[in-house]
This record gives sequence, C-alpha cells and structure tokens, in this order.
Amino acid sequence: MEKKDNTRLELASLSLPALIFTIGMIGFPFLYTIWLSFHAVTPAQQLKFNGLGNYSHLAADGEFWHGLFVTFELYFLSLALQLIFGVYLALLLFRSKRLPGIVRSLFISPFLIPGVVTGMMWLVILDPSLGAANYVLSLFGLPPSEWLASPSWVVPTVAIIDTWQWAPYVALIVLGGLQSLPPSVYEAAEIDGASRSKTLFRITLPLLLPTIMTATILRSVDLLRFFDLIYITTQGGPANASDTLNIYGFRVGFEFFQFGYASALMVTLSVIVLGAVLTLNRLRAAVAW
Amino acid sequence: MLDSPKSDRLFNLLNTLQLILAGVVVAAPTVWMVLSSFKQSYEVTAYPPTLIFSPTVSNYITLSQTTPFLHYGLNSIIVTVASTAIGIILGTPAAFAVSWTRVTWPAVVALVARMAPGTLFLLPWYIMFRHFDMIGSYWSLILTHAVITMPIVLWVMLPFFDNIPHSVFEAGQLDGCGPVKIFRRIALPLVSTGLAVSSILAFVFSWNYFLFALVLSNSDTKTLVAASFNFIGEGSTNWGGLMAAATLIALPPLILAVVVQRWLVSGLTLGAVKG
Repeated sequence: MEKKDNTRLELASLSLPALIFTIGMIGFPFLYTIWLSFHAVTPAQQLKFNGLGNYSHLAADGEFWHGLFVTFELYFLSLALQLIFGVYLALLLFRSKRLPGIVRSLFISPFLIPGVVTGMMWLVILDPSLGAANYVLSLFGLPPSEWLASPSWVVPTVAIIDTWQWAPYVALIVLGGLQSLPPSVYEAAEIDGASRSKTLFRITLPLLLPTIMTATILRSVDLLRFFDLIYITTQGGPANASDTLNIYGFRVGFEFFQFGYASALMVTLSVIVLGAVLTLNRLRAAVAW
Repeated sequence: MLDSPKSDRLFNLLNTLQLILAGVVVAAPTVWMVLSSFKQSYEVTAYPPTLIFSPTVSNYITLSQTTPFLHYGLNSIIVTVASTAIGIILGTPAAFAVSWTRVTWPAVVALVARMAPGTLFLLPWYIMFRHFDMIGSYWSLILTHAVITMPIVLWVMLPFFDNIPHSVFEAGQLDGCGPVKIFRRIALPLVSTGLAVSSILAFVFSWNYFLFALVLSNSDTKTLVAASFNFIGEGSTNWGGLMAAATLIALPPLILAVVVQRWLVSGLTLGAVKG
C-alpha cells in the first residue's frame, strides 16, 4: 500500500512543474480577465466594480457588432475556400503514386512561414500599382484590383492570402484521412463498376467527413481569432473594413487602455471560439463511422 | 473494369499536371519574395515585373548596416530557445504522467490554452509584468512564449509515450523503480524522436509568434517577428530591403520544415487525426 502511495506521489511530482506553470500563466490570468471584465478602470488607474456595465456597453457598441460581422464573414469565406482547395489538393496528392520529400516540404512551407512574413510578401505582391498580382491579372486580360486597399475587397483578399497559407495544411490532414481509409471499399466499388466521380462523391467524401471535420475545428480556432496577418497588412482598415473582434479588442486594450471593456470583448470572443469548437465537435461525433 | 488502361494513363497525366500547377501556386509567392530580396532597388519596383535580373546581396548588407536586424535576431534566438527548453522541461514529464495515469486534465487545459485568443491572456500578463516592472524584459517574453510551447510539447509527446508497451514499465516496477526513475532511465531514451519533433515544432511556433512580443517587448528586446512592423514602415520605399528581412525571418522555420517534414503533419494536428 505504501508503495502505491509512493507511485502516486512520484507521478504527481512529474506533472507538478507543469501544473504550477499552468496555474500561474494560464489559469490565474484567465480568471483575472473574467474578473476584470466586471470592472471599469478609472483615469487614475483604479479599478471600480462595474457589474455588467462592460457587457451592456458591448451590446450597444456598433463597432463590436461590426467586428463580429467581419469576424464571421472572414471565417466562413476562408473556411469554405480552405476546405474546397484543401480536399482538392489532398485528392491530387493521394492519386499521385510517388510523393518525393521535396513535394511534401513544398506543401508544408506556406503554413510554417510566420504570419507576419506572409503579410510582408503579399503586401508587395498585391501592391495596387506595381504589384505582381495585378500584372498576372493583366496577362489574362482582367482589370487590376485594389486588393487590400479596397474596403470592399479587403476581406476576400485576406481570405485568399490565408487560404494560400493554410489550404495545404488542410490538404495534409485530409491526405492522412485518405491514407487510413480501408482499401477494401475501393475494391468493392471497382467490382461494382462505379465510375470515378461516383466513387468520389458516394464513397470517399462521406468516409472522409470525420477528418474534414477535424480540419474544420483546427482551422476554426485560428480563423475566429484572426490577428497577425490583418495587423501587419491593414490594421483593420481601410476604414474599419477588416476590423475583426480580435483586432478591435486589442486596440481597445493596448491603444485605448480600457482594460475592463477590452476584457469583456476578449471573454466574449473566447466564448464564441469555445462554443464553435464544442458545436463542431458534436457534429464530428455525428458523422463518425 | 470500367476504366481502360489508356484512360487510366490520361487520368494520371491530368492529375500530375494539376499537381504541378498547384505546386507552382503554392511556391510562387515565397519564390517571389526571395527573388525580390536579391534585386536592385530599381528592378524590384519595375513594371512589368522582371524574372531575369542580375542578383545582388546589397539589400542584405543594407539591412544589417542600417537596422538592428542582427540584434533582433539574437533576441528571437534567446526567446525561442529558452521558451522551447522550458516547454520541453515542463511538458515532457507531464505528458509521461498523463500517459501513465490517463488523468487527462493537463492535456485539456493545454488545449483550452491553445484555443483561447492570445489577447485574453495578454491583458492580465501586461498588468502582472508591469507590476513587477518586467515589461521589456526577456523573461516576460520567455515565460509567455512557454505558454505556446508547453501545450505543443505535451500533445506531441503524448502519443510517443502511449506507444511504449506497458510491459516495459511493469518490468521496471518489478525491478523496484518508481515512476520518476522509469521516466528518466527507460521512457526518455525511447522517445528521442518525439523529443526532436516536439522541440522543432515548439521552436517554430515560438519563433513565429507575434502578439506577445508586440506588447511585452521594448526596442531593446524586440524579436524579429515583432520588429517586422518597423521594416514595413521603411519598406514602403524599399521593397528589396523588406523582402530581404522577410526572407531571413522565414528561413529558420523553412529549414526545420524540410528536416522534419515526415513527422510534422501528425505533430501539427496535435494528435487530432487519430482514428
């Protein structure tokens, strides 16, 4: 019996450093932000209890609702593009017999590049007057675009950039799912004389749904708190057109130093992300086989 | 058999062609960034853009002479290496304990930490570090970046520990070894691949992380990624220099990507694709 206690004690000691670190750097700050969200910071840097004041301010704040709209606009657009191109790429990769390591490295490269570097390179490529993108458009006889400088184009443009960066990531996840599908289902389909498109839409894609849902969850977490790329390229502009909730909350906190209200914004955003993950996780369980 | 060998060959050819096209689209922006960094200032803004030019390293020389690029680079290395080390030191034994006991709350907490927006933690950290007069210190950056690295290490290491047959541990226990001894003497040597993969992933994510250093660093401790903002300010007149900076900042993650590409994907999904 004493030996068993020892074992338990030793196991606890192995996770103790991580536990202390987690409480200090994650748990305590998490609760502190929630606590802050019920307070107002006075001009003299004093905290004053404010009840639900920050949250009722939020409900009446047009910029919050605008940020919420931009966040979801960017989320759905990016997610749709990344799933479509990701699955398409995965099928291409799966069907090619040999995949040299260099090809794998190539498809890994976009999402390992820091988001800020992605922003820097696309700022140059998408420059409205001298950028390479508009030149490529002109080769196909298409009119130039203002890209990130246009209030109506900035969200789709950011979605396109993010799709360039993350569709290969979705593709590699889906490729993993494709490789783990039992070969017997294809053989059965072949014996039944199913055509390629029928096999794809009736067999492969339905079987892939759980993997696609996994990719959806992982991308949702990042897309709903979109920050780096927008902060580097537009900082929410032009004219607030790309002002996501995360960007807005950051500005309220670290440019206007309204810690109480910024906390309320951040708690709200966290609830949205967590809610989305839980909902999507339910959906994944529903399509599991 | 519905598909004749001939249509099979055509299908494969079309598939390869589409794959090449996709590869070009994926590679083009990065290649363009690297090419632009070797162009003279009059060539980098040439319109129509040129593919053929006489390369120069002048942008890189100017960058190191007119900006504290090397100093920022050193800051990045300090913060990244230290936070990766902390992540490994904290995360590896925790992953071992989770794998042994199947008590999963540390893994769940780590996952929640990954899901919450960084700004949520940044507010209290900012107040905390300001209270201890630590804003602009390396430690504020190292500790906050360890919040990124530790969950990565925990989740990447978990399947590696899970894959060790339980009989190995039982044999150790029969020899009178406790979990700490088993962890050090038996388990750690068996998961060296996992340690390499998780170190590299932690390194890449810490190197790339922007938000924390944006607020918690000062002009002396700025990391490269946080300093990229300065380069953009200057870059409006100097694309060559901007692309040289971008290329150098992206280089460490890209090199590591080539080294570990085989294990990277399973690590990046944090074990989510299992089953």
